[in-house]
Amino acid sequence: MGRWKHFVRLLALLAMAAGAFLSFRAMAVPKDFGTLGHFRASAIAEAAAREPRHLGSKECEDCHDSIYVAWSEGKHSKPQCENCHGPGLLHVKTVSEDSTDAYPDRIKRYPKALQPTTGIQECKWCHLKTFERPATLKSINSVQRHVEKTGGTYTAGSKCTDCHDPHTTVVK
Amino acid sequence: MHHYVVEGYVLPNQTHIYWTIMIVLYPYITGIVAGAFIISSLYHVFHKEVLKPVSRFAMLMALAFLLFAPLPLLMHLGHPERAFNIMFTPNATSAMAGFGFIYTAYLLILVVEIWLVYRADIVLLATSARSAWMRRVYWVLALGVTDISDEAKALDRKVMQFLAAIGIPAACALHGYVGFLFGAIKANPWWASPLMPVVFLMSAILSGIAMVLLCYLIVQWVTKRPIDSPCVDALVSYAWMFLMIDVALELLELVNHAYMANHDWQILRELLTQKLYLSMFVIQFLLGSAIPFVLLGALVVYKNAIGGRTRNGIAFVASMLLLVQVLAMRWNVVIGGQMFSKSFRGFLTFDVDLAGREGLFAAVFLFSLPFLTMLVFSRVLPFWGPVSSAPGRWLEAEPAEHVSLRDHSSFTDVGL
Amino acid sequence: MSPRSTPSDESEITRRKFLEVCAEAGASIFVFGAVVCTTAKLMLPSLAEARSPDGSDKDANDVIYGFLIDTTKCIGCGSCVRACKAENNVPDGYYRTWVEQYAFYENGEVTVNSASGGLNGFADAPQLDIPETTDEPPVRGFFVPKLCNHCINTPCIQVCPVGASYKTKEGVVLVDPQRCIGCGYCVQACPFGSRYLNPETRIADKCTWCYHRITKGLQPACVVSCPAKARIFGNVSDPNSEISRLLASNRVQVLKSYLGTNPRTRYIGLDSEVL
Repeated sequence: MGRWKHFVRLLALLAMAAGAFLSFRAMAVPKDFGTLGHFRASAIAEAAAREPRHLGSKECEDCHDSIYVAWSEGKHSKPQCENCHGPGLLHVKTVSEDSTDAYPDRIKRYPKALQPTTGIQECKWCHLKTFERPATLKSINSVQRHVEKTGGTYTAGSKCTDCHDPHTTVVK
Repeated sequence: MHHYVVEGYVLPNQTHIYWTIMIVLYPYITGIVAGAFIISSLYHVFHKEVLKPVSRFAMLMALAFLLFAPLPLLMHLGHPERAFNIMFTPNATSAMAGFGFIYTAYLLILVVEIWLVYRADIVLLATSARSAWMRRVYWVLALGVTDISDEAKALDRKVMQFLAAIGIPAACALHGYVGFLFGAIKANPWWASPLMPVVFLMSAILSGIAMVLLCYLIVQWVTKRPIDSPCVDALVSYAWMFLMIDVALELLELVNHAYMANHDWQILRELLTQKLYLSMFVIQFLLGSAIPFVLLGALVVYKNAIGGRTRNGIAFVASMLLLVQVLAMRWNVVIGGQMFSKSFRGFLTFDVDLAGREGLFAAVFLFSLPFLTMLVFSRVLPFWGPVSSAPGRWLEAEPAEHVSLRDHSSFTDVGL
Repeated sequence: MSPRSTPSDESEITRRKFLEVCAEAGASIFVFGAVVCTTAKLMLPSLAEARSPDGSDKDANDVIYGFLIDTTKCIGCGSCVRACKAENNVPDGYYRTWVEQYAFYENGEVTVNSASGGLNGFADAPQLDIPETTDEPPVRGFFVPKLCNHCINTPCIQVCPVGASYKTKEGVVLVDPQRCIGCGYCVQACPFGSRYLNPETRIADKCTWCYHRITKGLQPACVVSCPAKARIFGNVSDPNSEISRLLASNRVQVLKSYLGTNPRTRYIGLDSEVL
């Protein structure tokens, strides 16, 4: 060994470090990593497993059948129920008294676990005129002028739903 | 993180600048490592005797900075506890995945090289250092081997030269990959350029030379030791040379963008001439490049007409400006590249965070650590020559009987 | 004449030295070359793999998803943005999908606006970024919804250092929340600004085409909520699907095609001002 002694010890140290690295790696890397590609294979199933929060308007029919029928047969069937009312999963769960703990606050904040409707804000999203919207989409330039033109009295608290049924747009 | 002020149309997900001070600091630190190492290799591999006085100092400085290079990255990661994933499951197409391996390899090369250079001194100190506690430390550093026969030293020298030689491409890789990391991002027209790795490398070497020069001057002034004139002249020359290469490449990049005037030129022009005017043209090019170019050039061209003290003063100022230049260059690339949106229609301002994981205070503290480490190193290993050149400082009054300073002459006698 | 060593001795020494240097250099080059070649060999297959072409190992029955956005139909109501935010718990100030409003003025200027990503619709006129050079309202305009393009040649997967970003066999690009280290490289590499770093989970996040919905036979939340049917999603390897028929019968564009990312999210009615 002679003049190589210190190198031998150094290499032994490095070999130990490499061994430690490899054993940490074996512990830290999930067994299914790399089986489908350079990623953890079980991530796909985890990504697919989450519960959808928007249930689709058909799910509302069970409990809200008359509104559903009026909506689906009326002029306002293009926007879905959950467009204005928010996702229905939590609402169905709270109404049927299931646990809602798994859901983060963002959709848990509201009473009945549904987004509260204002009767005006949701309508403005589509029906307040901008210059790009097609002429076939009925829109107004200003809530005040529309109310006054149609013979109503405008106040700060005026809402579209004062006159229009929100589910069919029919004037009451 | 807070939203930054926007101007024009910025894509909704781009109202934050994600890579901030820590990502500016990381290439700055590794750059200093690369440059200091080149200085040391110029002596150890290319036998530039004139750099011998700073060769050990530069090597230890490279290590001091290298030890803290991963720290800014860890401060930036969303999940630093998972940082080892880049070494456990590296993605071969990702430049960033290169970090773990390049850094480890380079750290090994540098540590072993330093060990070999200092081994004779370490063995001597293992038997004759002043305090018993330190003698144990040195014994561990020697790995318990006290063989410093001529054959052992000759072998050490061969291995050390091999390491110093492969250390040069390793240092190039350590800094080149960072440049590639930015340069290969086609999404960002300010970053995407084949010149980027080269520019990063050249400015890295420049910053390392400047740091070695600056620290050498400061340490010698503070400890009232003599300043080796030819060494400083050589450092000045190398600094001037690398400054010219670096600035030429940086200007080439700018001219290329302006001349080709691609779809991105509109927004880049406004970025450079308005938003980055101060940091780029005033700080990076005027203060950081033009003035040091004149100063260093004068020192080189009028070498014989300028006295030692004046030269040291000018070199001091120039090296400070160069360090500012390289930092400004990193800033302009990293943060400048995020100050315009990928919509090519808007800008963000960048407000420096003071506190926080990625704040200014953290950055200043982090940057001070290598210097503190050098202080620690100075107590453990001699910077300026073998132990035999200053035995009173390192050894007991009387070395142990079986030890003779003559037998333990340092590797510098055989050219290490 | 001064005594000299014999010429053969001297040349013997220099020859030996030369051979020594050659041997050392040769050994170094060999080691270096071996390292480079091995690395290249290990890397090259992965380089090709990251490009993820639609693959020769797939048969015609495999599902490949695609997305089509008809900008001529979008009314800028923002239903998609709101639905996505609620469905996927997207944090405030970040967007997995958003809508941009383009306004063209008589003097030729174009402004783009996406206040809150379109979350509140575009109805309130003050949101319009009317340029100072004119008082006139815009002469034309349109809305462009955007989301992750789920590219075929993904630049984001290419740069992920740890293999946290990946692609499913249907072509959907996802992020593994357990492995992402939050470095933000993918965010920088995406040319479309689709990605962001989630401040709550501190990992990279983006539109997943509602993978948790589409694998159950549902449509993504943004597609379901769009009242104008501007968004279409489906199986592009099925020639009878709605999306396939639309792709076959329309002139279709993609964003930033010059970058070569080959997006699977395609557009009808894209204007040259849309970048």
